[in-house]
Amino acid sequence: MSTTRRNLLLSGIAVGAALASSNVSVMAAGQELTLGVVGVLSGPAAQWGLALRGAVELVAAEANRDGLIKVDGAPCKVNVVAIDSKYTAEGAAAAANTLAGQGVKFIIGPIGSPELTGVKPIAKRNSMLVMGNGYAKDALSPQLPLVFHMGPGPSGWAEPIIKIAKQKFGMKSVVLVAPNDQGGTDIASVDADAYKRTGITASEEYYQRGTTNFAPIVTRIMNAKPDAVDLASSPPGDAGIIVKQLRQAGFEGPIGRLGGPGYTEISRVAGGDEVLKDFYWYEPVLIDEKVQLIADEYKKLLGAERPENNLFFQWVSAARMVTKAIAKAGTISDTAKVAEALRSLPVEDPNIGPGHWIGQDFFGINQELSFPFGVGLVEKGKLQPTIRVEAAGGK
Amino acid sequence: MTARTLSKRGDLAEAASVVVIAAAFVVPWLSQNPMVYSLANQMLIAITAAFSVYIMLRMNLMTFAVPTFMAIGGYTVAILGLRHGVTDVLLLGLASFVVPALFALPLGALVLRLTGVYFVLVTFVLTEITQLLLFETPGWTGGSNGLVGMPAVTLFGLELADNRAVLQVTIGLALAGAIVTAAVTRTLRQHFAAIEENELLAQSLGLVVWHYKAFGFAIAAGVSGLAGFALVNMLLTAHPTSFSALSSVNYIAYAIIGGKSSMLGPVVGGALLIWAGDVFALRGEYSQFLFGFLIVVVVLVAREGVVGTIHRLGVRVFSPPSPSRSSTVASSPTLSVPNAMEPLQ
Amino acid sequence: MQGFVATCLIGISLGAQYALLALGFTLIFGILGVVNFAHGGFYVLGGYLAYSAVTYLGMPYALAVICAALGTTLLGFLFERFVLDRVIDDHLATLMLTLGLYLMMSSGILVVFGPQSPAFAFPLTGVIHGHGFFVPIENLVVLGVCIVGILSIYGLIYYTDFGRALRALADDRAVATAQGLRPAILFPAAFALATGLAGLTGALVTPILSLAPHIGDPVLATSFLIVILGGLGSVGGATVAAFIVGMAEAFSAVYLGGSKGALALFVLVLVMLVVKPSGLFGHRVRGA
Repeated sequence: MSTTRRNLLLSGIAVGAALASSNVSVMAAGQELTLGVVGVLSGPAAQWGLALRGAVELVAAEANRDGLIKVDGAPCKVNVVAIDSKYTAEGAAAAANTLAGQGVKFIIGPIGSPELTGVKPIAKRNSMLVMGNGYAKDALSPQLPLVFHMGPGPSGWAEPIIKIAKQKFGMKSVVLVAPNDQGGTDIASVDADAYKRTGITASEEYYQRGTTNFAPIVTRIMNAKPDAVDLASSPPGDAGIIVKQLRQAGFEGPIGRLGGPGYTEISRVAGGDEVLKDFYWYEPVLIDEKVQLIADEYKKLLGAERPENNLFFQWVSAARMVTKAIAKAGTISDTAKVAEALRSLPVEDPNIGPGHWIGQDFFGINQELSFPFGVGLVEKGKLQPTIRVEAAGGK
Repeated sequence: MTARTLSKRGDLAEAASVVVIAAAFVVPWLSQNPMVYSLANQMLIAITAAFSVYIMLRMNLMTFAVPTFMAIGGYTVAILGLRHGVTDVLLLGLASFVVPALFALPLGALVLRLTGVYFVLVTFVLTEITQLLLFETPGWTGGSNGLVGMPAVTLFGLELADNRAVLQVTIGLALAGAIVTAAVTRTLRQHFAAIEENELLAQSLGLVVWHYKAFGFAIAAGVSGLAGFALVNMLLTAHPTSFSALSSVNYIAYAIIGGKSSMLGPVVGGALLIWAGDVFALRGEYSQFLFGFLIVVVVLVAREGVVGTIHRLGVRVFSPPSPSRSSTVASSPTLSVPNAMEPLQ
Repeated sequence: MQGFVATCLIGISLGAQYALLALGFTLIFGILGVVNFAHGGFYVLGGYLAYSAVTYLGMPYALAVICAALGTTLLGFLFERFVLDRVIDDHLATLMLTLGLYLMMSSGILVVFGPQSPAFAFPLTGVIHGHGFFVPIENLVVLGVCIVGILSIYGLIYYTDFGRALRALADDRAVATAQGLRPAILFPAAFALATGLAGLTGALVTPILSLAPHIGDPVLATSFLIVILGGLGSVGGATVAAFIVGMAEAFSAVYLGGSKGALALFVLVLVMLVVKPSGLFGHRVRGA
């Protein structure tokens, strides 16, 4: 009898402790600005989240150095709290709730569509401002005026890249390969439509996430005899093996990757640029000397190399926009006012260049950042200078 | 004598579990903090799912199929809400219990013939199949995008949409799960114990083992379905990533780390590990390491799980060794170690 | 027809890798009664050990593979001897421990080596092209080593005193112990042998595929499938089943596509279980 009561007591203490600890953290918020990072920091997609966290830490360090954020004239310190969202909707929802519990009002991230799905309702309930990513077709909506997009999805950039690639390589058919989950289908299906609009026949091929040996998929692709193969959003490690195995199987055509950065890793896994041979990809940010300065800045302020994934730069530009808007609005709590400031700010990054807000046509709300981007090219085994494409605009 | 003390202790643990979960209804009155709500939501969902594991462990079966039945329950609710406009929480709750239980019957006919580690492995395969089926049936399940945008659930026409109401729905579902679990394990304690101890012997003594196992499996599936409903309701989305094959490992961990011999085990284990997981998530890429380390430490330090160990220590410290007590203590751990994975040769 | 030959070749090379992995998994189960959730972790660790030996110590690849196998063997031995052995008779506890170890290993590797795939290439390149099929030379070498590995395991288990002792322990631990066999040495040794095999496979295969901290998950799932099909604890069953799974994976993926192919494979295993629950070569399931 007594033992059961003790057990009961214990459970009570556990819940009580949880309640108590969270109450304390609410009190601690004070006159500091905390930027919450919701991103995947473990598992297969960890590199995206680590790039995101690095970017936000850099932007916070910059803001602190410059004394950017002031509330009622008094300088306000910027902190970063990063939470692992585990690339699931519930992980991201839990992370957003934890941040809400700590009184955090601004979330940079998350990255994947399932995560964004998990974050949005919580952000809405707690009126948090979200600068996120995720290529789902319903990523933004007019009902969620506090949710912003750090960059356009394939609907914004696939077509210009395909036009350039078609000019270079003249392909008439393409097979798109991607993993069989939302991270794969959201991008490959939009890419496929863009290929079709450009007059290239496209078919989609999905493999099970976690596949390690792509020899069967490659054989299947070879049987279809396409002119080109597009790896869409296959993770760089997977993409590298697919390229290598395609080339071993004697595939001579161009290979594209309209899904995200990762050229360096793909080239490394495949065995070098000679193996890539003819390769084209979407580079979210054109990395020139000016952009490279961000990496130097990172080293100077945070004393380490920047995260390797090139999404880092895009997140830097997005996070900078958020801190600028907070500075302009002069409030660290009224997110509606900050959102207003964000919409009215000219889209401009000191390193990356000018851009604009888009999204009206695709989402019905103009809250998607669009900066100039790049088309990466390897031709005949030689890396070419990245082609600059002006920010997707108008819409 | 021993059996009686044992069952008495079981009754108390079951009553205590139900009371603890019912007591969660005070949380929405005590706090407005979204983090507390989130934590309570997650804990209760975890505990409900772990009850499912607990029921199966009564029969010496360790199941990985919890996400499968959570998915069936969750998607049932999502489809009913989205396509058929059903929003009544009682109706949906019933559906999220009954549909997985009905699915479990034919599945049980296939997999319940297996025992020991074969059962473990085949349920693991089931969860993998679940993911692929979700992907391959976009017309029904929304494929890789899942189902989003279902209407808020209602109770007698009252909309349950805000933070507090969502938590209350979760608590209600967890309470239903706890009551079902307690009722079933209590009513069938002797039968389950006989199956756990020696299935062949039980059969030869006239117990229709098959009936009880099928019943237990269906109930466990229904309880998982309730957890699936709660999860979908919390996230406002039924998404394949919520029911991944590897998440099944978590539910097993909740039951075992908490203590598999008492119904309080899943309660304590779920609460502890969810809380730890949320704290560890702040440590970024170290989070999984810390989680793994915690599991190793608890297994090595507290062999019978948190509840079992506290009970053993508690009895040793607080009570003088009287004959009846000590027999309870001595017999409980050995009786309760389910030989779930008997090596074959 | 040409596609058929190519697909067969893929199936055989998949099968050989899977066999090495599944042998270790089934050994640990058959002898210790442990379902080793960390099996995929040892595979990944083997890859990273070989990579480190080549990159940081400048070792030739062949030597690095041996080092990786020895390293994972040693870790497996220590883990069994000092951690797992304390709860060896409680099957749920061992499952939890190996699971905890796997989480620690994979996130430890993520922290130490970073999330991205490093450059780790097989020293031999080149492709043999035949009529409508092709075989990369590196795959042939790996296939050869895998087959040698499988044969060595057979030799070890069936023709040495060590193997006989292990089989005796697997058959009946109580009787074997009573006859003077010492689980205190043999259990860690068996566990180490199996983790060494996983490490060896990782060191061999990751350079021709890719190396990243998380690639252990599918290894575990595949090992599961194979031992279900082959019959748990059966060495012959695991070998045959590995090739069946390799073939099934190759053919279903080529002719049905990646996602449907995987579904077909799982359903095949499910049907198999229904028809013959103890697997191809498994003995009757003892009443639990």
